[in-house]
Amino acid sequence: MKPSVETHNLTVIYDKKPAIWNIDFTLPTGKIIGIMGPNGSGKSTLLKAIMGIIEPNIGYSKVFDQDLEDVRNKVSYVPQRQSVDWDFPASVWDVVAMGRYATKGLFKRLTKEDHRMIEESLSKVNMTPFTNRQISQLSGGQQQRVFLARALAQNADLYLMDEPFVGVDAATEQAIITLLKSMRDAGKTLLVVHHDLLTAQDYFEHMVLLNSRLVAEGPTSEVFTKDILTETYGGTLTTLSKVANVLQEKDFPMRHK
Amino acid sequence: MEFLTEIWSFFTFSEPNVKVVFWGSLILCSISGLVGTFTLLRKRSLIGDVISHAVLPGIALAFIIGQQKNPLYLIIGATITGWISTYLVDYITKHSKIKNDTAIALILSVFFGVGVLLLTHIQHSGNASQSGLDQFIFGRASAMNMSDVWLFSIVGTIITILIVIFFRGLSLLSFDENYSQSIGFPNELLKLILSITTVTTVAMGVQAVGVVLMSALLITPAACAKFWTNKIIPMAILALVISGASGVLGSAISYTYNGMPTGPWIVVVVSLFAFISAFIGRKNGLLKKYLQRSKNNTKILRENTIKLFFNPKTLGETQFSFEDIFAKSKMQRATLKKGLSLLKSDKLITTNQGTYATTSLGIEEAKTIVRKHRLWELYISKFMHLQPDHVHDDAEGIEHVITPEIERELEKELDFPTKDPHDSDIPY
Repeated sequence: MKPSVETHNLTVIYDKKPAIWNIDFTLPTGKIIGIMGPNGSGKSTLLKAIMGIIEPNIGYSKVFDQDLEDVRNKVSYVPQRQSVDWDFPASVWDVVAMGRYATKGLFKRLTKEDHRMIEESLSKVNMTPFTNRQISQLSGGQQQRVFLARALAQNADLYLMDEPFVGVDAATEQAIITLLKSMRDAGKTLLVVHHDLLTAQDYFEHMVLLNSRLVAEGPTSEVFTKDILTETYGGTLTTLSKVANVLQEKDFPMRHK
Repeated sequence: MEFLTEIWSFFTFSEPNVKVVFWGSLILCSISGLVGTFTLLRKRSLIGDVISHAVLPGIALAFIIGQQKNPLYLIIGATITGWISTYLVDYITKHSKIKNDTAIALILSVFFGVGVLLLTHIQHSGNASQSGLDQFIFGRASAMNMSDVWLFSIVGTIITILIVIFFRGLSLLSFDENYSQSIGFPNELLKLILSITTVTTVAMGVQAVGVVLMSALLITPAACAKFWTNKIIPMAILALVISGASGVLGSAISYTYNGMPTGPWIVVVVSLFAFISAFIGRKNGLLKKYLQRSKNNTKILRENTIKLFFNPKTLGETQFSFEDIFAKSKMQRATLKKGLSLLKSDKLITTNQGTYATTSLGIEEAKTIVRKHRLWELYISKFMHLQPDHVHDDAEGIEHVITPEIERELEKELDFPTKDPHDSDIPY
């Protein structure tokens, strides 16, 4: 089976300091995969680098064994809910319709089929009654559902989700995980940034544990162990962060060209 | 009155130059309202201010090089320095420890300072054709001529077409830049279109409004429009209309009273629109909030007054005198009278020779409000773990908020209770 995402020595440098360093893994398809790690461990950066939103400084990633450009319409990205201003003049429908722009591009009109897919996505997240609601009037959980509906409208095979469970109520969290599981059952692959250790084991079959570097990657039963968690959450490696600090202070290049 | 007739005479185009001023300011200001919608939505209002100040050195340099006031040269010069300024702000923010607001303040003052220096140099150079160049600081619509207007309409049309064609991309870029990138939209191209249209608009607009106040014309119309609509297309159109109207009115006033700079007048008019919008705007206006609040206050008074008639044993039978009710209430005399007259006009109570009695409708109403009060007391004592003597004040406020829908939910969640935390009956 083709891998869903593979990264090779993926390194992203922020302000001369590596935010993620030499991330190297190959992930399976058709699974709900959690990306776990402490604050500032580069979880979101990893997603953005895979999605091409940030250009990696070193290394590369592939999606379904191809360059992202060639399979972009098979990949859908769900940004952090807090990354946008919900006071923007748009309705729920307007936001979900953006999911169709992925195939329609800048200029093509939305057809009846697109409208049908938008409505279907809204009903999958139980937001149909809110179709014409202004997005500024939504609760946190509803905002997250709208973002998921937008991703569903893209009809992709791989979904990259950045913290979809943050700031949502318990009912929404349940609804989201049920939705994710039904997507997985339909053969989709889901890569989900998450930070709640309590629920991680129930939600994910496969995990990536991150702390600027890759700590472990594999089936949950194998990597969700006390030792690995201690290594992930037990702070940064002293020598590694010293090297990073020297890189930043002295402005050394990471690689010679 | 005389003031109005004089303004009106502007719109009759009795003087030939009036036509030029009318069309010139209409085009310049409308475009700036349209472009400004995206500046506002992308939260780059302060960048608008940087650009408008940074076009001044461009105008001066264009004059020094060309030695004449050719509008095309001036616009090109203005566009170049305006664009460099935004580029520098972004570059400094990205590549140094200096934060965005500091970079904005730095670049704005440096460019404006250099602009004023160059302008002073030109004025002392003795070149006769330089007269009027200093009007770029506060703007003078009456200094425009027909060839300017032609230039503005051509450039304005191009800008409008660009924005209409790329509207989908520009909206998505403004709402969610990362997502736009993720679905493969050409973010860099879209940003370039926005920065070029913004800089060009400002470069033209300073002719009418001047560099100091140009950013107000960019941002205020869009801010006004947001009080009226929550959809982006109507917002852009409304911003364009408000901006165009302010431009024409402002120019008319400044033209009628010769010698007044145009920019400040346009800004006064557009600010007036902003003030009106903030007050009576349909979406977020203050008047709407005020009306809602006074509606709430009436509801609270009405419900608090009917509650005074609630007495489980003698419900509906007793005749109360005003003094009885007043003693029971904690209201001012006048407030209570107002409350009673509200009840009377709603037929919840009847009066008979100075005494008051509830109607059957009033009994139901009184029971409802007491029921809501007690349900809420029970609910918060259970779910917020409050002592029974701590729940009354909260319930006094919340009882007016509970809708029939929430009431049903409370009943269900509490399993249709019969007693409140103080062991009083909950009336059904």
